[in-house]
Amino acid sequence: MADGTQDTSHLYEGKTVRSAAPSRKKAAGRLKSSTEIPKDAIPEIHVPSWIESFFGGPIVSSMKFLPANKTVSTLQIASAGVLLILAFLTYIITPVSGTAWFTIANIVGMTFLGGLIHILILVVGLIGGIYGIFQRDQRALLVSYVMLLLITLRFAGSKVEFGLNMVPENEIAQKVLLILYALFLVMYFELTSGIIRFSMLDTSIRTGEVYVMGEGKIISQYNRAIGITPAIAGIVALITLLINLIIPAIVGIFDDVAANRLSESVELTSVYGVALGTAMVFTVVAAAFAINLPLRIQKMREKQS
Amino acid sequence: MAWSRKSAMFAALAIALYLLGLVLRNQQLVTVAVVLLSFLTYAAFRTTHADVASSGRRLEDAESDIGIQLQSIVAMRKLSSARVFEDGEIDVVLRIQNRSSLSKVLEIRDRVPEVMRIKKGANYVLMDLGGRKETEISYTIEAPIRGFYTIGPVCVRVQDAFGLFHNEREINLYDDFLVFPKMEDIKDALIKSRVPKIFTGAVNIRNPGEGSNFYNLREYIPGDPMKKVNWKAWARSGKMMVNEYERDAVSDIILIIDSRAVSETGPVSRNSLVYSTRAAASLTQYFLSRRDSVGLVTYSDEIVSVDRDSGKKQLYVILTKLAGAMAKGNTPLKIVTNRILPHINRGSPIIILSPLEDDPTIIDAVRDLRARNFDVTILSPSSLEFEFDARRLDRTGYEVLKTERDILISELRGLGANVMDWEPDMMLVTALAGARGF
Repeated sequence: MADGTQDTSHLYEGKTVRSAAPSRKKAAGRLKSSTEIPKDAIPEIHVPSWIESFFGGPIVSSMKFLPANKTVSTLQIASAGVLLILAFLTYIITPVSGTAWFTIANIVGMTFLGGLIHILILVVGLIGGIYGIFQRDQRALLVSYVMLLLITLRFAGSKVEFGLNMVPENEIAQKVLLILYALFLVMYFELTSGIIRFSMLDTSIRTGEVYVMGEGKIISQYNRAIGITPAIAGIVALITLLINLIIPAIVGIFDDVAANRLSESVELTSVYGVALGTAMVFTVVAAAFAINLPLRIQKMREKQS
Repeated sequence: MAWSRKSAMFAALAIALYLLGLVLRNQQLVTVAVVLLSFLTYAAFRTTHADVASSGRRLEDAESDIGIQLQSIVAMRKLSSARVFEDGEIDVVLRIQNRSSLSKVLEIRDRVPEVMRIKKGANYVLMDLGGRKETEISYTIEAPIRGFYTIGPVCVRVQDAFGLFHNEREINLYDDFLVFPKMEDIKDALIKSRVPKIFTGAVNIRNPGEGSNFYNLREYIPGDPMKKVNWKAWARSGKMMVNEYERDAVSDIILIIDSRAVSETGPVSRNSLVYSTRAAASLTQYFLSRRDSVGLVTYSDEIVSVDRDSGKKQLYVILTKLAGAMAKGNTPLKIVTNRILPHINRGSPIIILSPLEDDPTIIDAVRDLRARNFDVTILSPSSLEFEFDARRLDRTGYEVLKTERDILISELRGLGANVMDWEPDMMLVTALAGARGF
């Protein structure tokens, strides 16, 4: 039975039966010296904030978790590892130049302040993340996400710049490094949300709310997916980012001059080339969905088995 | 395929980063956006892959495939009982078959009515179900409140490993069950008819006849059976004496239940209607075991009656009506009595179960019944107490309403009705004894 609920609509064909007679309430109300409504007469209703209304529910879960089980602990360690690598990658590929704080610091005439804020944002993201991971605190994780995204917001002028000089000059290597960074960021998002998800599941299992059959298989499926999905996402992203090399290579089969022009085209080599690549790759993906390819593959697999 | 909040946020973030990346000419942002989109797309691709076409039927019909489209997932359910009493338990077995050759990770939720408590097991199961395999989910529910209930539908959900997208189907598999009001064991209701029927029953009516209790001695009349001869009295008086017994006879008992909206004043599990239905069930069982005929009248926005009858079948007919009694409407008692009076034998005991609230015709109705020599017993579960216990009524309001109620009860007693102000913690037997002046 739902605690605290006095709603009887489920019992009586959708009709909610009042739990108090109107005449009685009226009479009792008249007898009181004050017209104040008693506190216990008002049902406790959670009025969602505008943020909750916008996102369709609370952004962070208020569920209290039981101590972490093996799966959750493993995810915590993996997330912490990913976060450390991510922080390092962020540091080496995100220069302070082009950021808002760098500009403001320059205007103020305190150049060092820009760098300090830059480092500070990264450190807050790192510490918030570590705290959120091990305390399973979604607020801290949210702060960490925001900080790690905030640090990347900079005007780059279509140039791939790095914070450190030790990174490679080769274009493919640079793009692989960028993809690696993006993958670690996405992995960080996924693993940390996995911590919360598996903690909720584990708590529900241990409190008897949910029963799990074949828990090992389900977890191994998650582990497999966490390996395969980023790899595929990485490959797709690499194709998208290297479109300025792929298109001239294809055109080069037919016409060397045109291919050469294309490879030197500003549009293809700039960020708009990446946009073009994205449009092309995702058009192919959309076509796959349009022809219901996933279901066709399933049917084929079923027939085969 | 449905999006989760997480996937929607990921997508929104990806689009925002992508646009920002283009505006700021920042390849780093665009790269993050592209990776996020690729991640989402692959997860969506995998989820669409997971087909959850499904069907359902009752477990008893498992052998019959007629009319069932054999699809990927089939659910079948079996209940241990379709009828239980309040606080009774029902074992539910849900069998899930995966008819596809591919293994699936499924989330199964068998929807149970909100008021039910899960005593054992779980109705929400996360499972890895191999190709062409089946599994059984068992759980026990406790039914705390009377009524008609339905278990179902079965929700089957397949989602990707990251919980980004899901496919969900509801298997329209429903099982109905009935929860009868709880019954209290009654030794003696102290209620007898002044106008018994001619059939032999279990009620002692203080007239000589066929029965089990000794009534008096009289002289032997030819034709009397020899087993009735009182040999000691013959020896003492010198006259051949026989024992006479009190006649046992059956009565018509009419139970009137107030099922108006006002009768549900108080918490869901502690209100006048709950107490009235439980008392009516207990009294019905008791009177029927005495071979009396019992009739039931419930009044809410309409008057529903069950004709007088005896036997076990009548018990279940009445219990079913009681289980379905809903608090609604505001039909006055006077209309009820006017409607039923022509159909009841004069002198039959009438038991009214009502909170005696919000009805100005109560006095008139009881006066009418008493004028026609009906033996009227009123058990009035005091909803004032329910509300006061639930702290919905303040002390002053309670005291004043209690005084009003006491005046009404005194007035009814003055008309010759046996009235009991039934407080929540009082047992039915005690309330009955109190009503009859014991």
